[in-house]
Amino acid sequence: MSGTDYLREPHHEFLPASEQALGDPTLQRILGQLGDTLGKRNRDAWAALPNSDLIRERARAIKDQTLADLDTHLATLEQSVVARGGHVHWADDGEQARRNILDLMQRRGAKVAVKSKSMTSEEIHLNEALEHAGIEVVETDLGEYIIQLAGHRPSHIVAPAIHLSAAQIAEILSKPAGKRLPVEREVLAGFARQTLRQKFAQADVGISGANFAIAETGSIVLVTNEGNGRLTCALPKCHIAIMGIEKVIPRLADLPVFLKVLARGATGQKLSVYTQIITGPRQPGEMEGPDEFHLVILDNGRSKILGSPLRESLFCIRCGACLNACPIYRSVGGHAYGGVYAGPIGAVLTPLYDGLAANHHLPHASSLCGACQAACPVKIQIPQMLIQLREQLHQTPEHKNRLEALAYGLWARSLRIPWLYRLSTWLATRTIGRFKRRNPWIKRLPGKLGGWTESRDFPAPAAERFRDWWRKEGRGE
Amino acid sequence: MSSRDAFLARVRLAAEQGRPYRVHTREVPENIGYIGASGDLVKRFAMEVNAVGGEAVVVSDLEAAARELHRLLAEVGARSAVCWKHDLLERLGLRQLLVGPGVSLHDYESLAKLPSDEQRRTLLACDVGITSCDCAIAETGTLMVLARPGQERVASLLPPMHVAIVERRQIVPDLVDAIELLKPTLPSNVTFITGPSKTGDIELQLTTGVHGPGKWRVIVIA
Repeated sequence: MSGTDYLREPHHEFLPASEQALGDPTLQRILGQLGDTLGKRNRDAWAALPNSDLIRERARAIKDQTLADLDTHLATLEQSVVARGGHVHWADDGEQARRNILDLMQRRGAKVAVKSKSMTSEEIHLNEALEHAGIEVVETDLGEYIIQLAGHRPSHIVAPAIHLSAAQIAEILSKPAGKRLPVEREVLAGFARQTLRQKFAQADVGISGANFAIAETGSIVLVTNEGNGRLTCALPKCHIAIMGIEKVIPRLADLPVFLKVLARGATGQKLSVYTQIITGPRQPGEMEGPDEFHLVILDNGRSKILGSPLRESLFCIRCGACLNACPIYRSVGGHAYGGVYAGPIGAVLTPLYDGLAANHHLPHASSLCGACQAACPVKIQIPQMLIQLREQLHQTPEHKNRLEALAYGLWARSLRIPWLYRLSTWLATRTIGRFKRRNPWIKRLPGKLGGWTESRDFPAPAAERFRDWWRKEGRGE
Repeated sequence: MSSRDAFLARVRLAAEQGRPYRVHTREVPENIGYIGASGDLVKRFAMEVNAVGGEAVVVSDLEAAARELHRLLAEVGARSAVCWKHDLLERLGLRQLLVGPGVSLHDYESLAKLPSDEQRRTLLACDVGITSCDCAIAETGTLMVLARPGQERVASLLPPMHVAIVERRQIVPDLVDAIELLKPTLPSNVTFITGPSKTGDIELQLTTGVHGPGKWRVIVIA
């Protein structure tokens, strides 16, 4: 076993990380509840929503149309943001986005930033960059706050601390509290409320992601249940939002359809508790709200995906429904996946962003059962995309399995030569077939083939070939 | 070419290259997302507010609303409140109402006179926020609140209890109707509130009041 700390470090070790996760009883207990809580709420929400399939189809169609002319919508968005007194920054990659944000903060002499949960900021490792420059960054979503204190990576798109038990969380929060906090949810949440309020009041800058950006109005939309998103862009004097290029929707009228499917996908709610439409800085006469609004628009590999057969992965609205539905995620949890995004959509996104060869296990980390696609609010065809990635993998020389290639090569050759095929089937039935006549299952295959029989039996060849049976008895039947 | 133009040129090229891979979608009517609410909107709205963890009380007139508000203030032993300036609250006589139970009222006018750090301190110390709304959504039990001078975004956010007073004529059936009301110009902030502040971050169990109000009360004047 390697020395990688899977909770903290990104990695490319899906198998050993899974093994570790499967052996962790606390994690297994929590993951075991996922299907009956978030997963069930999501299924019930689709069942209760009239025309749910058509509404999701509509959301899907809007995404597809928008991406077909994405540059136009982004240009419109920029125009609208500027018209409302905001600023737009274009970032080709994570490096440029980090520099943009750091510049903005240093220009203001900012010391403390509060953050509302943003997966995009995780993707570009923003916190490390700001901390390195001496800026205190405080995650304010309760789950993010907990894992920031623990130094963990998020293990779920919407429930980043899902891998921790209440007792572990109490222990983590007891440190900044300076006393032993009881394992009571209200007390723990109360401590976070109190501590983070002070940070909100102190902070010079609020940093958020954006669930959507509306091109025609220049607005960003932020959805939270806790209210930290509201505080982030109410109290600090400067609000910086970061979004991937795929987050834009053309019109305000497109928004309701997405809000309705996002909340249902994430938590089974009809609407999340707080949905904000933020348009520029505060207006004259308003007491609270930022003086400055900045929008950082990030590419970071997305345009490459946009021009590829896997562009549908850009439909993702980051609700986490596919994680809750996935039998693999519910067994191994988020840290096994190694990248920023876990679960079925992570198995697609991580190879696309971080390289297929390095993440060659991920497209195989799926039984292709289709539960992810059924749960998805925009019906992304995740299984099909995983199969496409598998195909690509088999075409890369370093992941061509030589033994496999040899076996399939021989098979193909023997099929082309009738006498060789007859001979090989004759041999198989006369040897293994006869030997395994009573119990036609092979428990363990030799050598590399053993991987197959580690978790299932292999059917032995029959004792008699079909052609022999046919010659003897079949004709008469 | 500026980096902005290069950025957009790259996206344009990619969008073109990606077009052969567009997905097939069925023709769906644009208004498919409209769910609406049948029957009495007041009843439905109150029911949904209760379903999302709030408490709605339906009253028949302003006087009954005032009595209900008194009861809520007493329930939490409120000492100070941050309040909207709003026509409905004026008609309710909110200022006089708070004198009786000895709750000090902070509104835009009183707060604007304070220096900014004291303003912040006062706001953070309030026990209750009293607002109305720009509209209420029956189908989801949602309040839509728009930021404007006198109707600050923090009144429904900072205090541990938020009380909203809503009239029948403010209730619309669906989120789509509410968004329709926002045209043509959006304010700096529109917030849809559907329930008390919630989190599931501790073992997926519901915990309320982590950042926003843990108590969310709506008085509906039918």
